[in-house]
Amino acid sequence: MTDSTAIATPGSARPAIGLIFGSLLRADFTVLFRSSRTLLLNVALPIFILVLIDTRTGNKGGAAGFSGAGFAIGLALTYGLMSSSLIGYSLSVARDREAGVFQRLRVTPAPTWAIMTSRLLVQIVLDLLMTVIVVIVGTIIHNQNFTVGELLLLVCASIAGGAMFLAIAQALVGLVRSASVVNAVGRVLYVILLLLGLLGSSGLLGITVKDISDWTPVGAMINVYAGVLDLAHWGSTATTGLIAMAAYIVIGAFIGIRWFRWDSR
Amino acid sequence: MTEKSKQAGVGATPILDVRDLVVRYGQRTAVDNVSLEIRRGEIFGLLGPNGAGKTSTLSAIEGLVKPSGGTVSVDGIDIQRDPLAAKARLGVQLQASSFQSELAIEQIVRLYAGLYGVSMTKQQIADRIRTIGLDGELGKRFKSLSGGQQQRLSLLIAVIHEPVLLLLDEPTAGLDPQSRRQLWDRIENLRTAGGSILLTTHSMEEAEAVCDRVAIIDHGKLLTVDTPAGLIAQHRNDPRVTKVARGKITLEDVFIGLTGSEIRD
Repeated sequence: MTDSTAIATPGSARPAIGLIFGSLLRADFTVLFRSSRTLLLNVALPIFILVLIDTRTGNKGGAAGFSGAGFAIGLALTYGLMSSSLIGYSLSVARDREAGVFQRLRVTPAPTWAIMTSRLLVQIVLDLLMTVIVVIVGTIIHNQNFTVGELLLLVCASIAGGAMFLAIAQALVGLVRSASVVNAVGRVLYVILLLLGLLGSSGLLGITVKDISDWTPVGAMINVYAGVLDLAHWGSTATTGLIAMAAYIVIGAFIGIRWFRWDSR
Repeated sequence: MTEKSKQAGVGATPILDVRDLVVRYGQRTAVDNVSLEIRRGEIFGLLGPNGAGKTSTLSAIEGLVKPSGGTVSVDGIDIQRDPLAAKARLGVQLQASSFQSELAIEQIVRLYAGLYGVSMTKQQIADRIRTIGLDGELGKRFKSLSGGQQQRLSLLIAVIHEPVLLLLDEPTAGLDPQSRRQLWDRIENLRTAGGSILLTTHSMEEAEAVCDRVAIIDHGKLLTVDTPAGLIAQHRNDPRVTKVARGKITLEDVFIGLTGSEIRD
């Protein structure tokens, strides 16, 4: 057996960032597509919600003035974006951190920003893919056609929503070190945000809770979807949603970057 | 200079220059003014009980922790000033190497080759893997390999870019005697090929078998540096050493004499 684990005398030059980033992206995409949990959270769950809303609620929307196919698709996308970030992304980062995957990557010449950006980029691409699939399936199930403009705005809203939930997930892994605690907190947060956003925006719990709900991530997201699918009636609720989303992105990213530790110890 | 290092052509130029290194975690000082040099073509062993500061010293050299004081230069490059260029010259095998669990061996090798700027074809990767006897395991995941196989793959990845300095953190921990001997041979081969190696170990047998020079570290301080034989000669009459010796003075007697007999956690 010939031993190829040999060191050459000349020192290695710093590798090109393109090659580094390409290698990280390729690996992160492979990991993502090999994870059944990710595929389930990103595609199967939103489609299930689309079907469920159709059969159970008869297309009655929660957000004011927002109903029918638009509401069903918006809600399915919100579910998908939130679950893939809060449960999928945060847990995969926390687990890899605990296993020492990041430490192994950090001793290479790969810049830390490239390691994390690659992960986030892959997640955003997946969110986009999910958006396209959900919109296609949604329009078929609900027999609804959107204009090109509406579709583009829907995609833009999904990118912003995906960024918001990723920022929240990043803040979660920044503040919590243990993977099992990240998993537990992520799930609890998921339920709380979902209930607050949905029940609150429906107005069933009173006007105060509805006002609060408009500022929650789920409430803000649904209001923005409602706004982009009915631009003619874009109002203060949708604007509030947009402001809230921007705030969550900035605050979540700040906490997630400031307090993130590459090592779980 | 030892006979082994003379044969291997150890040069006088330091490939690693650590000056007055201090590493603190909060109030605790893990590495306290450590200075050491590793010459080209030299195998240098860092010995110390648990918690002595071996891994912290290595982490500072690898750029995983920011030193509170002192400097680290790899091949003349300051790790603080140009960490990525310094890292490109280092090959690292961490104590517990962990790779993304969803990736197959072949994909792991491709990822790390890319991170070090080494472009490899599928065939080249397979050839490399074959040299460490894992050609039948290309599609397997890292966790499914035995300890010895994992060790061989980790070493292959650590030297995939032909680094000028290889850092091995307890490379033979948990290996059976056959795998340990095989690894020693590989380490010797790496030096013969012109590489320099810094390894940490608990094993006196390993230090004597493969290291040209050995440093003993405890409570973050470097206690002594010399060849294994030189250390024995230097401390032969030290009362702390003679007190713990059982017959002929060994490197282990010197180690226990200098670091104490109490068990460390």
